[in-house]
Amino acid sequence: MNDMNKRYVIAERLNIPIAIVGETGEVRWNNSAFEETFGDDAKHWLKESARAVAGERGWLHGFFLDADEHRSTDVEIEGRTYRIDRIGNPSDFEEGAVGLSFEDVTRQREMEQAKSDFTSMIVHDLRGPLSGIQGTLEFVLSQEGTRLDPMYTDLLQEAQRESERMMNLINELLDFSKIQSGNFTVEGEPVRVAGVLKRAVRSLQSVAARDEIFLLNAHGRDVPQIIGSVEKLTQAIINLISNSLKFTPKRGLISVGAQIVRNGELPESIVITVTDTGMGIKAQELLQVWEKYKQSGNKSLRGGGGTGLGLYIVKQIVEAHGGEVSVASIEGVGTSMVLKLPVKRAA
Amino acid sequence: MSQAPLAQPKPDWSRLVSDSLKQNGVWHTWYKLVEARTAYPDDLALRGYSEIVRSAIVRDLLQHPKGMQAVLKLSPEFLTNFDRFNLNAQEGYLVSLIDGRLDLQKLVLLSPFDQFTTLFILAKLAYERAITVPQ
Repeated sequence: MNDMNKRYVIAERLNIPIAIVGETGEVRWNNSAFEETFGDDAKHWLKESARAVAGERGWLHGFFLDADEHRSTDVEIEGRTYRIDRIGNPSDFEEGAVGLSFEDVTRQREMEQAKSDFTSMIVHDLRGPLSGIQGTLEFVLSQEGTRLDPMYTDLLQEAQRESERMMNLINELLDFSKIQSGNFTVEGEPVRVAGVLKRAVRSLQSVAARDEIFLLNAHGRDVPQIIGSVEKLTQAIINLISNSLKFTPKRGLISVGAQIVRNGELPESIVITVTDTGMGIKAQELLQVWEKYKQSGNKSLRGGGGTGLGLYIVKQIVEAHGGEVSVASIEGVGTSMVLKLPVKRAA
Repeated sequence: MSQAPLAQPKPDWSRLVSDSLKQNGVWHTWYKLVEARTAYPDDLALRGYSEIVRSAIVRDLLQHPKGMQAVLKLSPEFLTNFDRFNLNAQEGYLVSLIDGRLDLQKLVLLSPFDQFTTLFILAKLAYERAITVPQ
């Protein structure tokens, strides 16, 4: 049996619909699963798909090109969505024909849509009211003239902490959703790294002070600019500091530093470190910290769990900037999260 | 035919640093890490371990009962035997600010260096007994 015959035997045995289709849309061969799924109607719509529609060639045309980007496409066929994949290269089965598989992804698409709708719901229906709650708590707690029983002050501060935690969880879910849907892009703007680090430290300084933790800048002003996204890099540093805050005891220390790696005279990359004197990470967990849904085996000192997405999102942000991540940790001594970002210059 | 250079195996920094901290303390470990950085300049994790040890050093300084309100003084040894201390420019600048009245908080504000670097240099000066941090 030659290779081509073997392909037909295998294709016949598979449960997914497969057809060998010529350039004009004629079905030259199909397996039993294809017959059961589409029946004779398939021959009609496959021919239609090959025709020019509104000045553009039908989707079938793309599969006869060698380019990899034409190996898969989603097509609506009689009210359902099929993901059509090319099997191998054109003419692997027959000269002038391609092998196509048809996977029904209607349910998958509905789920994706539901997920997208849910994300929108989170943005509009959860973040809005939560911002209101945070604003109210902040207002009440900042009123110096108001005499509150210390017990009520404690309760309000606890409510403020929990609302901050909930907002972080919502934001992490939103970012994760963007990463999963492929909508995670990095703008190409000049970024003052020293400014990003200072802003991130400033935004969490009050939380650190409340928990009696020293949060310190460990970098000068001479950190070079890079090209990327101010917003996303700030978010990455905030994620790392927030993580450290969870595992650093009272009177502990968190430092946010930046070192310049030079190639001769020119800066080649910036190494950012967020280091704490917290409880550290077990050696066997170190390699997995950047994976999604991975949470430390250590219990947070500030209560409450997380989504396990924070460090995964940081890694995605750094890699989107062309950088890399690393981690160092000693149990009982501390942890340092290390980010290396290339210094790209605007053209 | 040329051979590709063999990749240098990375030491188990976590174990090495942890053992060194227990046996030799933070300062000896810090100086060893400075040496290691020369041998492994591209090792990102090693930079992290250096930062962990530096942070432990600064944290120990801040563990003083008065924290950032602790007032620093020049040591009698420094005042009588100045030449023994081989200070670099950064250390010399900070020493020049110490007047027996300024606390850590004010020194950090007056220092031209970042907060963490300032505290690390002061911790080093205390370790070398150029300055004291009275209880």
